[in-house]
Amino acid sequence: MTVANLRIRGLSKSFGGAKALDNVDLTVPAGQVHALLGHNGAGKSTLIKCLGGAFAPDAGMIEVGGTSYARLNPRESIAAGVAIIFQTLSVVDSLTVAENIFLGQERIRYGAVNRRAQETLAAGLLERVAAGCAPRDRVGGLPMGQRQLVEIAKALSRNASVLVLDEPTAALSGAESDALAARVEDLRTQGLAIVYVTHLLSEVERLADAVTVLRDGRVDYHSTASGHSRRQLVTTIMGRASGSPPPRPGRAGATERGHGPSDDSAGPQSRPEASGGSGALDARSGPRNSEVTPPAGSSAPGRPAVPSRSVPDGPSSVPHRDPASVVDDKAPDPAAATAGHPGLTVEGLAGAGFGPVGFDVAEGEIVGMYGLIGSGRTRILETLFGRRHKSAGSVRLGGRAVAPARPAEALAAGIALVPADRRAQGLFATLTAQDNVLLPGLRSLARGVLRSVRAERRTFDAVAAAVSLRPARPKLPAAAYSGGNQQKLVLGRWVNERSRTNVLLLDEPTQGVDVGARQEIYRVVAGLAAEKRTAVLFASSDPEEVVALAHRCLIVARGRVIGELAGAQLTEEALLSAVHDTPAEGAA
Amino acid sequence: MSTTTADTAPRTPQSPRVLGTRGLTTVQRHPLTIVLALMVLVFQLSTGSFLDAANLRGIATDAATTAIVAVPLALLVISGYLDLSVGSTLALGGLAAGWLAGTQGQSPAVAVLGGLAVGAAVGAVNGILCCYLGLSAFIVTLGMLTAVRGLAQQLFPLPLSDFGTGFAWLGGARIAGVAAPVVIAALVVVTGAMFLALTPGGRHVFAIGVNREAAYLSGINTRRIPFLLFVITGAAAALTGAIRASVLDSAVSGTSGAGFELTVLTAVLLGGVALSGGSGSVFGVLLGVLFLGALQNGLTLLGVPTFWQLMAQGVALVAGAALAYFGPRRTR
Repeated sequence: MTVANLRIRGLSKSFGGAKALDNVDLTVPAGQVHALLGHNGAGKSTLIKCLGGAFAPDAGMIEVGGTSYARLNPRESIAAGVAIIFQTLSVVDSLTVAENIFLGQERIRYGAVNRRAQETLAAGLLERVAAGCAPRDRVGGLPMGQRQLVEIAKALSRNASVLVLDEPTAALSGAESDALAARVEDLRTQGLAIVYVTHLLSEVERLADAVTVLRDGRVDYHSTASGHSRRQLVTTIMGRASGSPPPRPGRAGATERGHGPSDDSAGPQSRPEASGGSGALDARSGPRNSEVTPPAGSSAPGRPAVPSRSVPDGPSSVPHRDPASVVDDKAPDPAAATAGHPGLTVEGLAGAGFGPVGFDVAEGEIVGMYGLIGSGRTRILETLFGRRHKSAGSVRLGGRAVAPARPAEALAAGIALVPADRRAQGLFATLTAQDNVLLPGLRSLARGVLRSVRAERRTFDAVAAAVSLRPARPKLPAAAYSGGNQQKLVLGRWVNERSRTNVLLLDEPTQGVDVGARQEIYRVVAGLAAEKRTAVLFASSDPEEVVALAHRCLIVARGRVIGELAGAQLTEEALLSAVHDTPAEGAA
Repeated sequence: MSTTTADTAPRTPQSPRVLGTRGLTTVQRHPLTIVLALMVLVFQLSTGSFLDAANLRGIATDAATTAIVAVPLALLVISGYLDLSVGSTLALGGLAAGWLAGTQGQSPAVAVLGGLAVGAAVGAVNGILCCYLGLSAFIVTLGMLTAVRGLAQQLFPLPLSDFGTGFAWLGGARIAGVAAPVVIAALVVVTGAMFLALTPGGRHVFAIGVNREAAYLSGINTRRIPFLLFVITGAAAALTGAIRASVLDSAVSGTSGAGFELTVLTAVLLGGVALSGGSGSVFGVLLGVLFLGALQNGLTLLGVPTFWQLMAQGVALVAGAALAYFGPRRTR
């Protein structure tokens, strides 16, 4: 049991300038389940893809079953005994269970596939994972949970010794999740080393022998202590955040902070300043709960500056914000909010997979929607934007009913959306930065039928300055920008003077965005709300982001708003508990 | 040699700064210009008559009919769609125009407009199926290629001819010494280039081709623009059909425009338009059209048999694609 089946040492990987993985260590002995946590963009998927051979790490090594690799290709990864079950399963719907299990490693006899042998072997494997389906069943007809088990059976057929499960319960029902947990426990006793990626602390509590939390590509927290109680985990993981309050972009000084990151490319020394806008980011290295083992990466350059920032109040004072200041910066302008002139009012809105939900977002107010992936946040945003059809309910903007059937109609009404999937839904990768920013508003910039070169350039320059685009080069293709600056391009579309944005909807506004750019995006959004009185509604699965950006937060689960946090109650811990303490049943 | 270094030296410090296409000269962006120039040189040296005015007029008239369809087709491809049916649309449109002018005795203007309407109708069917119903453009227009040819043969089982002197004007007239088809083609090229480069709609064409979902979410009308391009492409094919009918004073439902769709598409792709959509230029397409026209003409002058000409066309397309893929512009 002491044989380390998976050892990762000093793994680093950069994309462009952004470090997706920075000196990450991870050890999973045989017969253990290691939970891997972290927000979107923390580096979990990069780590998994390095393991699976999709990415070649820049530095570090991966050791599987005693053999070290500086890099793996997909075939080597499989041969080494690594099996990865991705969220989007790689089973072939039109084939049978047995055919799927032996895909690419068919049992051959007399030059043809030996179906009977495959089906016999498959039956054994299926029994081992208690899949409850037959070798001859078509995979396309199976429920999600069983398909996943088929894929695990496939991994076992390849004699995998390291099993990586990437948010395996995200698409499963409650019963299926329980069944999967039981299988994971079985596989652990069978001696597999299991990496279990999840957002759910309840799963960590039930399954994990060790926990690693990634943040911004580094190991942020690591513990091998057994018997994690959920409560303990929340406080432990959040303990690091009990220092200074997170940034409040809405209040004075935000601008000064926002400019901090502008020289973040200068070198590692500037890193503390770069993240200086975020007290929460730094504070994690500050006073900690004694249970926390400092990660190996904490001695990296840039960290030493942090202790000087440590904040008077100790880790025990969890409701850490001064209520008075909270009131000041939470409700941006209480008078305006209660003046009976709300920006966006949503009543009984329902559509496929969500609702009914009701809430409002006042002019100049920033409201977050916190919930896990699949909780319906994206659907709510897309319905407000006319991307999806509503089945019931009403939406009013400034007192007037709006029912956009298409995004173009929503935009005409002043509702804009920054979608979550930047590459698929937001960016025109091969077009220039200027085109990316100006495309929706080109008509309004044109003189007659022809484009006005000067007006376009002027508008682009203004937008680039407003969102701190770097480099601010109009002709550079969007694909050449970093993730954070790409997001600024998409956001810049609606910061444009010509686009009258009354309501700005943002879906995971800083997914895959580096720390510095993240602060700048918060500053831009906060500026829109404060100066242009834009009503902002954003969805996020990152509690830190919600606390940093939102004046008020709706808790979303199973397609409904199950709670609301505002003022002093709006803390990362409260957000985590709100979601994790209300599983399947939902409505609280 | 010394001039080369002197030429490149001052540009070098600038080029790493300018990662976009701006830093590229016209020649770098369109390597076909060099190939075309070399080819013209070789043909002139080997035939001695390639650059004669009469021969150039012949090339221009040939290239004109290709260009009239290649430009709107290029815009359609840039927006992420495709039209394989233009060869049959050409036949049907030409026959309709000829039938109106000859059999029906209509005025040439009515005849041409009638032909254009038929072509636009075919394009509208393509557009509705592809843009509004979301069917694959490849499949829809491949089907239409066959179906429209069948319709033309059903409606006009016999060859048509004797369209009258008025109708002959379309293909034979000279406007300030330039053949009418060349003038029409020049108008099409200039209009297309201006639309693509100078109007918001032109940018929208690119946006739809690069990322249709993002364009939709940006409020761009992602259906109407390509739909209109289908209609225009159909009308353009019919116009080319009418011009050819006028030049030949005959139209045959079975053979008119057969294979034309592939010639036009070859010209578009040679001109640097990406089949996956989102990139290309009208200037490049013009080069592609001229290249194909010059190649065919030169080889004919040299007495090269047709099958060698076809092979040369095919090789040129594949070589062009390889050049684009392995060439210096490959940034990703």
